[in-house]
Amino acid sequence: MTLFFQQLVNGIALGSIYGLVALGLTLVYGVLKIPNFAHGALYMVGAYITFVAAVVYGMGYIGAIAVAVIVLAGIGVALERVVFNPLRHAPRLHSMIAALGVLLFLEAGAQLAWGAEFRRLPSPFSGTVVLFGLPVATQRLLVIVAAVAVMIGLSLFLKRTTTGAAIEAMAQDRAGALLVGIDTRKIAMLTFAISAALAAFAAALVAPLNLISPTMGEAVNLKAFVIIILGGMGSIPGAVVGGYLLALVEVLGGTYISSSFSQLIAFAVLVVVLAFRPTGLFTRGV
Amino acid sequence: MISSHRLLALGLIVVTVGACSDEASEGTDADGTEVVNIGFSGPLSGGAAFYGQNVVNGLTMAIDELNQAGDIEVNEQAVRFELVTLDDRYLPNESATNVRRLLQQSRTPVIFVPHVGGILAVQPMSVRPPEFLLSAYSSDPRILEAANPLTLMIPPRYDGYFEPFVGATMEAYGNRLGVLPTNTSYGRAWAEGVTEEWRRQGGEVLGDHSVDYNTTTDFAGPVTQTLADAPDVILVGGPSQPTALIVHALRQQGYEGGFIVMDQAKFEEMEQIIPRTELEGSVGVYPLEAYTSVGTVGFVERFHEKFGRERLPTSEVALNYFGMHIVAQAMELAGTVADPQAIRGQLTEAARQLSEDRKPYEYDTVTKEGHLTGDVVTAFIQNGEYTAIPIPRRSGRGAPVE
Repeated sequence: MTLFFQQLVNGIALGSIYGLVALGLTLVYGVLKIPNFAHGALYMVGAYITFVAAVVYGMGYIGAIAVAVIVLAGIGVALERVVFNPLRHAPRLHSMIAALGVLLFLEAGAQLAWGAEFRRLPSPFSGTVVLFGLPVATQRLLVIVAAVAVMIGLSLFLKRTTTGAAIEAMAQDRAGALLVGIDTRKIAMLTFAISAALAAFAAALVAPLNLISPTMGEAVNLKAFVIIILGGMGSIPGAVVGGYLLALVEVLGGTYISSSFSQLIAFAVLVVVLAFRPTGLFTRGV
Repeated sequence: MISSHRLLALGLIVVTVGACSDEASEGTDADGTEVVNIGFSGPLSGGAAFYGQNVVNGLTMAIDELNQAGDIEVNEQAVRFELVTLDDRYLPNESATNVRRLLQQSRTPVIFVPHVGGILAVQPMSVRPPEFLLSAYSSDPRILEAANPLTLMIPPRYDGYFEPFVGATMEAYGNRLGVLPTNTSYGRAWAEGVTEEWRRQGGEVLGDHSVDYNTTTDFAGPVTQTLADAPDVILVGGPSQPTALIVHALRQQGYEGGFIVMDQAKFEEMEQIIPRTELEGSVGVYPLEAYTSVGTVGFVERFHEKFGRERLPTSEVALNYFGMHIVAQAMELAGTVADPQAIRGQLTEAARQLSEDRKPYEYDTVTKEGHLTGDVVTAFIQNGEYTAIPIPRRSGRGAPVE
């Protein structure tokens, strides 16, 4: 039973990361209909910025997270302006190809700037706490609490503020939003900024638990796409639920069936869900 | 008419220039030095880019030394080496394509490939014209089993480690073995060998929890699972850095036993990530910087001068450096830079004759099967110190070629 609860905590921590990454991806898809293949690369750049701010410039871990979130929000805006906005009237395939291009550009750029070697980000929360008799790494606890807080914050922002309502309106109908006086240019930039910032936040949280390298985003990127397909493309609750579902299936399936098959089990769940609900668990609606 | 003459002249010029440049690429410098291209196909981007870069650094270092010294003369002709690197992202099919390109475009008589998938894929190509000497950097014994007459296998084969590693850790910690290596083909083969040996020596093998070290976001899950069986010793291994993280996660969850660390992971790189106290009770590859022979000390010093103090000279760097020097020496002895068969025939003599300061390891022979061997030493970390465990000599059935 201890094993079960320990794995449950591990699964929830992993699900928090998956959820945060998938949220950014689903937001951009929901609002702008762009499958942003470069999202994992933004996650990776977020981890590097945190690393540079914390280790090279000697800022605290929390300060470094803030810097990474702000820088990535900026990169998000730049991407929207330079890459995706000019393609908004082009066939959708063009923005997909552009996203792939951004992915390759960012990965190669990171290798050029920071080298191919693995980096380790030290965290002030490196200890272990005992929770109900279970040893849990403090960083893992921080991941869960911070991720849940951000998820709640984002949903409040979307539901309770005018800007949030504008994002939602644009997700429903871009032309309609424009007609009622919403500045869709601004909303598009804002969406990209939030999306990239979420990726940076997730990366900064997970970085001390793992290693930073130019390809660290690839696996997470793939998972995030599985999650948003599972949860329903463009659905916010779908991304959160899908994230936790995938992580728990992976960890618990790995524990009780076979760890060699944990990845396979995750994809089997996707197939089963899609067989019964082809549009995903939650149908669209930001 | 004039214009047609002009055209003809122009055509002649083009042809002449073309011929000249062709000659140059075939390999003579302005000062009459022969240029020999050395090929490399390995990962230079993607998850294993760092590994590939280490291999390239070892080769570059050897080639720079050879060119600087300027004392390589083949058939009384001065020779200069040039390294041509191509990225294969660790994919065997890309290695094959790269090797074809290297042969056609750069006419490389020697090609270095640092991963077993790529090596096995290109071994059959080495004996078809144009032939080339394949310098294989991987510890997988399948490379020797292929019985390819144009392969030089550089590192010690990993199956030599099983018996001493199992013996040492079982005696020190107990007979329950947890299995948590990376699940690449190399990792699987290692795990199979170790678990078989563990059972042979009377131990109990627990559940297999191997995971992909490169794509796992959080190791907590597999780590918890492995510990649930209460192992005394755990087999870990993959690239050094994620291996260190796994060791760290195991210690964090209260594990106090020993580790068998696969030869892909290097203690010196792991120690950049976690303190040595967490590695207590681990057996694995002896760190290069802990060797005290003249060749090693000199090599480490020159490496730091070239690449900086903060970079680590690992065995990847040292063994490929070593391999390049042996190949150059063999070319000199064979009196040819273009005949791979003749170069291959001189490898044993070259390994024997190579000067001490160019030998980071005290390996002194190349076997009939084409394996560089010598006295291999491994490390057991006890009370925070590296204790040496010698590995018995073993390479196929072979005695050195005469």
